Amino acid sequence: MSVTFGKVISLILTERFGPIVSSVGSFLFKSQSSPLLFITRGVDLPLSNIKASLCVLIKYGLVTFKPNKNEKLANYHLESEKVLLMLRYPKYQNLAKIQFGDESAMIIEEILQRGYWTASQLILKVHERLSTNNVNPPTLTHIKDKLVYLITSKYLERLPSPDITKAVPSLIIQENELHVLPKIDIKNLVAYQENNSVTLPDANIYWTVNFDRFHQDMRDHIIVNAFENKFDAQAGEIIKLFLRQMYVRTEPWADVSNPIPSIEIKDILKRQSHQTHALAFFDQYMSIIEQDNSRLLRKVGEASGGSYQIYLKEAFTQFAWELVEQTVLAKYNSKAARIFRLVKEKPYIEPDRIQQLAMIPAKDAKKLSYQLYEENFLHIQELRKTSSNNGPTKNFTLFHIQLENVVRMLLELCYKVQFNHITRRNYERELNKRIIDKKQRVDTILMGMRAQGATEEQLADIEEMITPPEKEVLENIEKMMKQLSLVELEIDDTIFMLKMFIVYN
Amino acid sequence: MGETIEDIESRLLDLARLQPEGISNKDLKQQLPDVPLTDLTGVINKFLKNGTLELFRTKEDLFYKFKDPSKKTAAKGSDNEEKVVYKIIEEAGNKGIWIRDIRFKSNLNMTQLNKVLKSLETKKIIKAVKSVSASKKKVYMLYDLEPDSTVTGGAWYQDQDFESEFVDVLCQQSHRFLVQRLEDATKQGGGPLIIQKRSYATATEVQKYISDLGISKVALSITDIESILYTVVLDNNAERTVASNGKFMYKAISRFLPPPGLVKTSCGICVIEDKCASTGSVNPNICPYITDWLNDS
Repeated sequence: MSVTFGKVISLILTERFGPIVSSVGSFLFKSQSSPLLFITRGVDLPLSNIKASLCVLIKYGLVTFKPNKNEKLANYHLESEKVLLMLRYPKYQNLAKIQFGDESAMIIEEILQRGYWTASQLILKVHERLSTNNVNPPTLTHIKDKLVYLITSKYLERLPSPDITKAVPSLIIQENELHVLPKIDIKNLVAYQENNSVTLPDANIYWTVNFDRFHQDMRDHIIVNAFENKFDAQAGEIIKLFLRQMYVRTEPWADVSNPIPSIEIKDILKRQSHQTHALAFFDQYMSIIEQDNSRLLRKVGEASGGSYQIYLKEAFTQFAWELVEQTVLAKYNSKAARIFRLVKEKPYIEPDRIQQLAMIPAKDAKKLSYQLYEENFLHIQELRKTSSNNGPTKNFTLFHIQLENVVRMLLELCYKVQFNHITRRNYERELNKRIIDKKQRVDTILMGMRAQGATEEQLADIEEMITPPEKEVLENIEKMMKQLSLVELEIDDTIFMLKMFIVYN
Repeated sequence: MGETIEDIESRLLDLARLQPEGISNKDLKQQLPDVPLTDLTGVINKFLKNGTLELFRTKEDLFYKFKDPSKKTAAKGSDNEEKVVYKIIEEAGNKGIWIRDIRFKSNLNMTQLNKVLKSLETKKIIKAVKSVSASKKKVYMLYDLEPDSTVTGGAWYQDQDFESEFVDVLCQQSHRFLVQRLEDATKQGGGPLIIQKRSYATATEVQKYISDLGISKVALSITDIESILYTVVLDNNAERTVASNGKFMYKAISRFLPPPGLVKTSCGICVIEDKCASTGSVNPNICPYITDWLNDS
């Protein structure tokens, strides 16, 4: 909840919803929770605009409301973390695409764009989109199956419905209704396609995206990839199965999984014909992973070939360490990273020992360690001798690391980087507004002419309205935008990783 | 008179060795009755001069004490002060002794002590060694002694400068050796456990590899190699485990994570990031670092 974070939030809101909504959002961010009256005082906008903005924000689940003490007024509260998640939307779509195919990705995309939607409408829309430019569009039933799968596996959840008996409606839903499938009649849908006046049975049942479920998948991806990097692909495969089996008997967000018998994993591997290598050396892989210094998988019992526990919290702590180390490495140099790791391994270490063990010249070691201290990567504990007031007193300076502080600091840095990149992108766009606008105009003219069936010559004439230097500028801008958005996603990966650490702690 | 001067010398020496607490003139007369006094005094004087014998005096009697000839060099042609200083330096052994401590122990004044030290140094009896712990501090020790590693800093110091390049090269080579091991083991195949076993290396093996390469002019001890390998471990390029015989084993490892997205940007590794804001002279709109980064990649 820092200033930088607020700035990023405000930029994201401006980008997606425009300046009016953004100003309301920023005000709510600052005040944490406030009733409509206060918002009108704090934001210099007409009441109707504020109301409309709040509606938009509530629709996307970015603002929640709660009745205040007298239950007559609502206090509005900005879900700032959810605003930040908007940067991750492409990732959710991609994840759905990889795991469940194009239709699912499209379903997720439609919901994300709208905030929530009914199942029938969703199916119809996705069908419509897939039917254009497609010779063999998937059937409605096929899309419905995909949607049902997304709901049963909890990627989508039902939106709570308001209880309108009170002055401030509260949103309620039964736990068991969250992932219950709606009744969808394909005949009914077909009828609706032909005639819009047909009523759909699920008009009031809305669905929205369950981000937590996606985060769980992302977390598993990270763990599997990490094991692939550290050991090899087969080890990654084994861990993947472990994680899958973990859900059978463990809460998804537990710190440590319940014991998982390795024989189960072996059975699954036996059924997968392409995993012969992993199967042949299964026991060896297990012992390697178990004996590794990271100790993320630990044996708990010998029964039925041994059962293992996965230490998820421990895993993300280690990942966070590695992330911080790599940041130190990139920001300074390998010697600084060495010092950092040394202090990690031997907390409360004296500066003299650092230069001895890290084999760095005294001067450099001192400089680097104090530089790291200055940038808050290292922390100092001083021991003072209080008694003697004559002669030089000797102080002990001991270095140590508080990982959580460092992680929070890096998180803050990530926000700042996001802010900088978005600002820069807006600035570049503003700077080259004229050319971009021109390009857009030319493109619309071209489209219009093509539709009217203009000849190639005419089209080329129009295209030449953009001069070669302009073209170059446009290419440059496009490249820049592409890179900035790509990096935006990568930074988001870092944010996710750091957030995971904080969540688990 | 069948005896030559040499015979007398050896007999006198034997006698002196037998009685480390010293021999008096009376003893000499008893033990060497056949030696003429003139010859004896000549021999004694010669020994006293070159330091083989030392002269002591109790109440009335004079004693001659035998002194180890291996330590005798100092006395050659030196006066009393030199002898005293020599003794103090000798006691300090290969750790050396600081000039101030010599002064306190010898009770000589500064100028005199300097003169003595200079003369001893020119005679190549003692030498001054610069200590690594304090660059301006000189310690004195006997000329033929090899300075202790706490004074010189061990193999990593050359003229009290830490040879960081040398250390870096060694680190790289050790890491390469471990990686090579791992690659060889992977190529040979035979299951993950065997690969793991084969990829472990001990410090002795690394030591052999390093000395075969011939990059080091000085011979590196196992402890030196261990400390080099420890830095490789600290760089997160290797892991260290204890083998069943209690020795450390090293193995090249890879990391869990690829470099995070944060460090791929210029902002993530920016050094003036804390001065950067949306307004002011350091801002993202005109930031030259971002411009360079955007143009580069």
